[in-house]
Parts: sequence; structure tokens; C-alpha cells
Amino acid sequence: MFHRPSTLTEALELKSRLKDKGVFLAGGTDLVVGVAKGRLAVEHWIDLSGVPGLSYVREEREELAIGPLATHAMLERSAFAPALAQAARTVGGPAIRNRGTIAGNLGTASPAGDVSVALLALDATLTLVRSQGSRAVPIRDFFVGPGKTRIAPDEMIQEVRIRRPADSAFLKLGKRQSVAIALVSAAAVRQSDGRVAIALGSVAPVPLRAAQTEAHLAIAGLAPDAIREAAGLVSAEVKPIDDHRASADYRRALSGVLVRRLLEQLAAASSNHESAAPV
Amino acid sequence: MIGSTPEATGQAERSWTLSFTVNGQRHELAIHPERTLLEVLREDLHLTGTKGACLEGECGSCIVLVDGVPQNSCLILAPQMEGREVVTIEGLADGTVLDPVQRAFVDNGAVQCGFCTPGVVLSTKALLATNPHPTYDEVRRGLEGNICRCTGYMKVLGAAMAAASAEGPGVADASPEDRPRP
Repeated sequence: MFHRPSTLTEALELKSRLKDKGVFLAGGTDLVVGVAKGRLAVEHWIDLSGVPGLSYVREEREELAIGPLATHAMLERSAFAPALAQAARTVGGPAIRNRGTIAGNLGTASPAGDVSVALLALDATLTLVRSQGSRAVPIRDFFVGPGKTRIAPDEMIQEVRIRRPADSAFLKLGKRQSVAIALVSAAAVRQSDGRVAIALGSVAPVPLRAAQTEAHLAIAGLAPDAIREAAGLVSAEVKPIDDHRASADYRRALSGVLVRRLLEQLAAASSNHESAAPV
Repeated sequence: MIGSTPEATGQAERSWTLSFTVNGQRHELAIHPERTLLEVLREDLHLTGTKGACLEGECGSCIVLVDGVPQNSCLILAPQMEGREVVTIEGLADGTVLDPVQRAFVDNGAVQCGFCTPGVVLSTKALLATNPHPTYDEVRRGLEGNICRCTGYMKVLGAAMAAASAEGPGVADASPEDRPRP
């Protein structure tokens, strides 16, 4: 069955009734391929393309709000947090980015989700909504395993919010520069209090926060020696696997390289900022 | 059904009515709702210029413009196009007069087997609509979602740069070293 509700209330009521038998359809970049390739059968589609007002990315003072139908193309154009735009920019080609949604990318919960990694480093908060109300879930708690999240069978992702960081950056290495799944992706965020967060993709069953490396940086700062040590720490901290795209050893080495480059970027931007500040 | 033949999609399953515009013409079609836009364009409207190749959004041969924006028609379930305006490769030329982008592809010999060409031309059209004077690098990025299995990329990029010069009043903003080398 194909359902095309015209309001959010109607969409949530359908989901509440159908539970796991109902699947929200947004960009279709995962779901339609899944059905076409026979990996997935959908009993009830709940298409959101007829519900107005869900497709937005807007700055609300020091926060960015990402709506349930916001696409990668929309995020790519946002200057709010460089890591987010950079991550969105590395997904597929322009036509894919015009369809694939951020909420869909989170819901798919791929260990290689690029925007998920940036949002994890940015400590995003997800609002999950159902007919009877909504709840906030920190992105740290959202991913459970490959393809598995904390979304209940009657819920949808209503909004994703982040606070404005002092600086952020994202890097990804795939087999090509375009339309490629990450061998490793990484995001680093410097908050205004100086705290540095690091997240990596394709190195664990879920997007990973590098807690030990972050703890080291909290003490050692972003001096060249500290960055070199952080690169070593992060290589030890990630938990990659061997697969057809890369070996675990290569991914460990690559994690260190990407994190070193990201931290060097943050350090350079931070020292430029300080030298430019009035004395 | 996605990926099914027209024969498999019986009359009894045509449970959805889709109203949308294709190349300026309104259509109201009775379809099975689990068919893709690509299938409906090719099988119901016989607009076979839009190609299906990878059927997973990797190759770009199925790209059409939806409300002016390039999208992979193999990833869209047809009911999602309700009320939308779709432009396929058949909608670019004005009678026998080719669109400037098509003209540039012909003049620059940017077509080999031709299978990827409709998608590449529409991606170029969409790029120039938002960025009339792209640099060479911006053209490369704008066409990154289109794969040419003949690997004729240099001619394609040259044609896109030529189209940019032809479409706008000025010359494309690219330094000589940015331009494709033979």
C-alpha cells in the first residue's frame, strides 16, 4: 500500500497504526534501491513528499535546525558549521544530494554515513516525534548498530539541532573523489570553551567518538606534539574491520592521518584568529 | 513494481492516479504506486531518452530535472511526483532547434555511445542555470554524478565549458590553465 499523507499529524497516525509495517519515504536513495535490488520489501509506504513545511535548514540565533526533509544539497549551502557542509558535499553527486535527506541518512544508520559523523562530533540533538508527543535524544545515544537506531516503531525524526561551534572541519577518503563510500571519514569540532571533539566513520559498527583522544587533547591542547600524539591515539582507539574496500590496518593508519590533518586545520585557524584579535 | 516489466504490472494493480507535468505537458496516469519515475517515463510516456543503467543512483544516466533541479529518476517513486514539473532530455530542444547545451555537445563531439549523454546534458543544464559562468573545476564537480563508461570525459567537460560561454553574455570565468588539455 502506498500512503501519501498531507499533514504531519496524519503521517504520524499512520505510523502509529502500522508500526514496523509502515516505512517513511523521503528521498528514497536507500529505500527505493533496497526494494529494486530485492534486499527490502515494504508493506506500507508512508510518503512524506506531500507534507508541507518539513524541508528546511534554518539558523535560530546560535543553533541550526535541520528539518526532516532537509536534503544534503541544502546543508551543503549552509555556512553554519563548516564540517556539516563539507560532509554533505562528499555524499554522492549533485542529483543524489538533491534527493537524499539528512534525517534519512541518520535513520539508515550506516557506519559510513558522512553527515552522521559530522553531527556526532557536533553533539547534535535529535527530536523524535510520534502521535502522542516528542522526545530529545542526543546523537551519542542514537546509533545502536549498523542499520539500528533508537527510533521506536511509531516515531520519526522531526528535527536535528546543533549549537554553533567555534570551528569545525570534516575529511573523508574514498576510492575516488566523488560518489564514493568512505574508507574512513572524520570530523573535528572546537567548541567556544576550547573543548575539541572528534568523530570517525567506517571504523566501527556505528559512527564513533574518539573519547580517549579527546581526553588527551583536553589536557595537551593543539600544540604540534599533542596533535602527533592524538593521531597515534586515535589509530589505537578505532575498531575497524577488513572488508572489500580496505583492510583494518589501512583504516587505522588512515584514521590517524585524517585526524592529524583536521587538528592541524583547527590549530592553524585558531592561531590566525588569536593573532587577528585586537590586543 | 520497481524493476518489473510492464507486463508484470497488471491493470488491477494500477491503483494510483498521478497528475504531473512532463516537458510542459500535463499528464494524468493510472499507475502502480511502487513504480519509479524512470519506469513511468520510459514505459508509460515512451520517453526513452532517459536511460536506466545502475538503478541505484551511482551512474546518473537516469537524471531528469524536477522543478528545475537534477534528480535520479530511478530513486523516485512515481507518486512522489504529484504536482511536480519534470523535464527530460526530450524537453530541451525547441522543435528542431537544439538547446545551447545540446548544440555545444554536438559541436564539441562530446558524445560517444550516447547512453550517458541525456543525463550529462541535463546535469550541465542545471549547473548553468544556477552558475552561468562556472570554472572548469566547478564543471567537474557539477558533473561528478554522471559516469561515462566510454570514458569520454574530456570532450564532455570541454562541451560544458563551451555551453557556458555560449549561454551567457560573457566568457566563462576560467583561467587558461583551468581549461581542459587535449
